Amino acid sequence: MLRLTILAMTLILLPAPETVAQKKKVKAPAMAAPAQVNVVRVNDRRGGEPFQRLELVIELPTVPSTGVSAGRVLLRSAVDDSGNNLMEETQGEPALGSLSVARRGDSTRPAALSFTLASPLRNATSVREVRGEIELYMPSRDANSVALLPKFMSSKGKALSHKALKANGVEIMVLSEPQYEAEKKRLADLKRKEMVKEEYSEDTIASSIEIFLENFLAPEPNDVVVKIKDPKKVIQEFSWIDSSGGEPKRLNTREDNGLTFLFTWEGPPQPDWALRVSMLTPKNVVRFPFVLRDVPLP
Amino acid sequence: MVAEQQPDSLRFPAARVYPSRFRMKTHMQQQRVLRAWLSAALAGLLWVNLAHAQSGVKVALDEVVDDRFSEGPLRGSLQVGFTIDGKDIERVSAARIIIKEAADDRGQSLVLKGDPPDFSPRDINGGKLSVRLANPSRRSKSVNLKGAVELFVPSRDPAARVRVEKPLSQLDKPLTTKGLRAAKLNVTLLSRQKYNEKMKSQKLDATGIAEIRARGKAEGASEEEINKAIELIKALQELGGGEVPEGAVVISASSNDLDRIHRVEILGADGQPMNIVSRRTSSFGKEATMILQPSEPPSAKAVLEFQLLTDKARVLVPFDMKNVALP
Repeated sequence: MLRLTILAMTLILLPAPETVAQKKKVKAPAMAAPAQVNVVRVNDRRGGEPFQRLELVIELPTVPSTGVSAGRVLLRSAVDDSGNNLMEETQGEPALGSLSVARRGDSTRPAALSFTLASPLRNATSVREVRGEIELYMPSRDANSVALLPKFMSSKGKALSHKALKANGVEIMVLSEPQYEAEKKRLADLKRKEMVKEEYSEDTIASSIEIFLENFLAPEPNDVVVKIKDPKKVIQEFSWIDSSGGEPKRLNTREDNGLTFLFTWEGPPQPDWALRVSMLTPKNVVRFPFVLRDVPLP
Repeated sequence: MVAEQQPDSLRFPAARVYPSRFRMKTHMQQQRVLRAWLSAALAGLLWVNLAHAQSGVKVALDEVVDDRFSEGPLRGSLQVGFTIDGKDIERVSAARIIIKEAADDRGQSLVLKGDPPDFSPRDINGGKLSVRLANPSRRSKSVNLKGAVELFVPSRDPAARVRVEKPLSQLDKPLTTKGLRAAKLNVTLLSRQKYNEKMKSQKLDATGIAEIRARGKAEGASEEEINKAIELIKALQELGGGEVPEGAVVISASSNDLDRIHRVEILGADGQPMNIVSRRTSSFGKEATMILQPSEPPSAKAVLEFQLLTDKARVLVPFDMKNVALP
């Protein structure tokens, strides 16, 4: 039973699924004052490649978790007390959105984030220093952060209208079935033209188009197909809100040939549900520099 | 008592091909090694090679993971993986690691309180075995491990397989089969109605909570962890155990008896084990329940085959590993 409890807790602490926030072109936000940061957990997993790593969970005692929808830690340097560099060689910038699920919406606890470093040496006893920046997505700081679109499924075939979408240069249209079929035909024709130009045989073209339509442009039963224009790549997250106005259901997205498929594993949206589009703006993304020193290793 | 021997029919290793930093010998094997040394010297061979040639099953160290956490609700552990292999490996149905002594090179014991792990079937996780120990000191570089791999070899004991003909016609009363009686196993197949009644009667009371607290403390859990576990059990009980699916076979026994059953198969009309899509075991106090969900409902003529962890079918292969390097 204890193992079950730990498993349950581990699941709760798992990072939230990645959303559209991964390919941001948004200009780096201005830097705020250095953040007060407390280390709440250190996990040094040694051995068992490829899972060997050092993970730190940090808390921002002055930032309530309720105001933060997502966050990330951008590392600049990290070294253990034996002088070993802890920056992972292949470490790219993490996606915004890795805020622990357990903290989101929990007003009693400060915002918490985690980040990973390369494994320190066994004979190291502490992380001498970590420097970096903490980036937080705080939608309440800008009235144009969120577009809430009630009964959006009844607006199929028309561009969704909202002042926040307009302010952020975003256009979204839920495709109707005829529009989706027309879009498929347009893409298939385009593909056919390319293949004819490259002098493929008629048989090859026919089978390629068939595979293309069956495998690439085939929405699952739960998918909602949308066409999105987001030139500044500001869309952070899509979610559905049911008619009771309960907790938003975060959506997964899949992009394919210019179309975006929105889905959750829980099923399709009902006609009276709302679509919520969360967007990054210069006002709602905040960066704080931080430094951690002499963090004891377990 | 479990056999700690090497019968002629199934020889287990006197040594294995460890990396040079490990040694592994049983007490009996030590004497055999001595003899082998003399023989090998005469024959101009190393004893390791001679012993390996006799081995039916050999044990090797696999991955070592030292998962370390700072103070808090999550606890770390040293996870040591093992593989077993050899010409007799196909006869081994399941195995587990039993640690007698484990200490880091600073003398700190790493043995955790609690029961040894369950037998792990050979067809799970590629036959790899693992054991969980306490984290060694960060300043230590290696650990010493002494214990045994316990093998379940049902072919060594005819009593380790017990067949029960037409068990589905004997619901809600103890199965009366010679093999089960000989093994002193009291097993009952439950109808859905009896199962539901049993679930309703199993509510966590003060005695149950006290037992969980005692067990949690014995395993070194903190008060906070124990309280969370109790809350979780209560929440799960409120949700209920759920309906038994159509065609499922529900086996009820005491926890002690169920612990002596390694596996239960439902044999179909062709005499072959049916595909079991789900196996669930739960216990409440001293009672335990196993639910087998076959991919299709078994016929009335289906046979149950119990694989019993009898003493004769269990073989201990002791090991003594020195200076196992820590990552």
